[in-house]
Amino acid sequence: MKIRVRYFARYRSLVGKSEEELEVPDGITVGELIEFLKERHPELKNEVFAEEDDLADVNVSRNGRYVKFDEALQDGDVVAIFPPVSGG
Amino acid sequence: MLSEREIERYDRQIMIFGKEGQEKLKGAKVAVVGVGGLGSPVAYYLAAAGVGTLLLVDEQRPELSNLNRQILHWEEDVGERPKPESARWKLERFNSDIKIETFSGRLTEENVEEVLKGVDVVVDCLDNFETRYLLDDYVHRKKIPLVHGAVEGMHGQITTIVPGLTKSLKELFPKVKEKEEKFPIIGATAGVVGSIQAMEVIKLLTGIGEPLINKLLLIDLALNIFDVVELK
Repeated sequence: MKIRVRYFARYRSLVGKSEEELEVPDGITVGELIEFLKERHPELKNEVFAEEDDLADVNVSRNGRYVKFDEALQDGDVVAIFPPVSGG
Repeated sequence: MLSEREIERYDRQIMIFGKEGQEKLKGAKVAVVGVGGLGSPVAYYLAAAGVGTLLLVDEQRPELSNLNRQILHWEEDVGERPKPESARWKLERFNSDIKIETFSGRLTEENVEEVLKGVDVVVDCLDNFETRYLLDDYVHRKKIPLVHGAVEGMHGQITTIVPGLTKSLKELFPKVKEKEEKFPIIGATAGVVGSIQAMEVIKLLTGIGEPLINKLLLIDLALNIFDVVELK
């Protein structure tokens, strides 16, 4: 199935584009997509997503709604990933 | 009651939310926690709007490298008085009709109840999530709104937490990786995000418009993107 992934904030600088259309396995979950993206964009691996279990370091929205990592995606979904910022 | 002077001073905004709205601002007490890059524009605009009592909370003193963004602190304040006092000095001269209270110290589990007592809205202008979770717990105990803002570089995010209506800040951002102390930032980014936080407070207090409840506003000033993510 095809989905569209949008990158925000520093993810965008790292990946070098604002969005892309990707062919992903049917029924892929948000968590699996993150792993998929790390493979596709190794620059995201260390810099952005924390080690192994620490996926919560990235925020994900699906079709404009905030989602958890166990949610399964559907064909045509638009997924946006953005890092939480913490400065003041 | 508003004085003649207040009615004149706030004339342009009374056109928007009426004397009634202005009275609501006057009767409110708002805590600005963190008087730095975000806290400066937030406190400045809330003082300008005539919020009756502002409580400024910060433990630090201004440093020279703060001045690119923390516009309530000037060269003469560097290394001198704590940020809440530095800001109070200007705000009192800017608007003598409002009351400025300060707490120059670290907010802790032990003192948060005492420091934030009687506050109607808390504005999160902090630079770390550890203290943010402290605010989050506090507003949930008191059932008052928390206006969250954060910035880095040319990006920012804003959402308003309302206990009972929205997720808590901790549920939204459970495990934020704390970075080393120094993060890149252009002052105007904090200006944009802080101004939006001030608007959130004004909307919450007067009832005009729609606060960012269950909505996360993401801002990318490098690429001119304002995106609202639904949180529910």
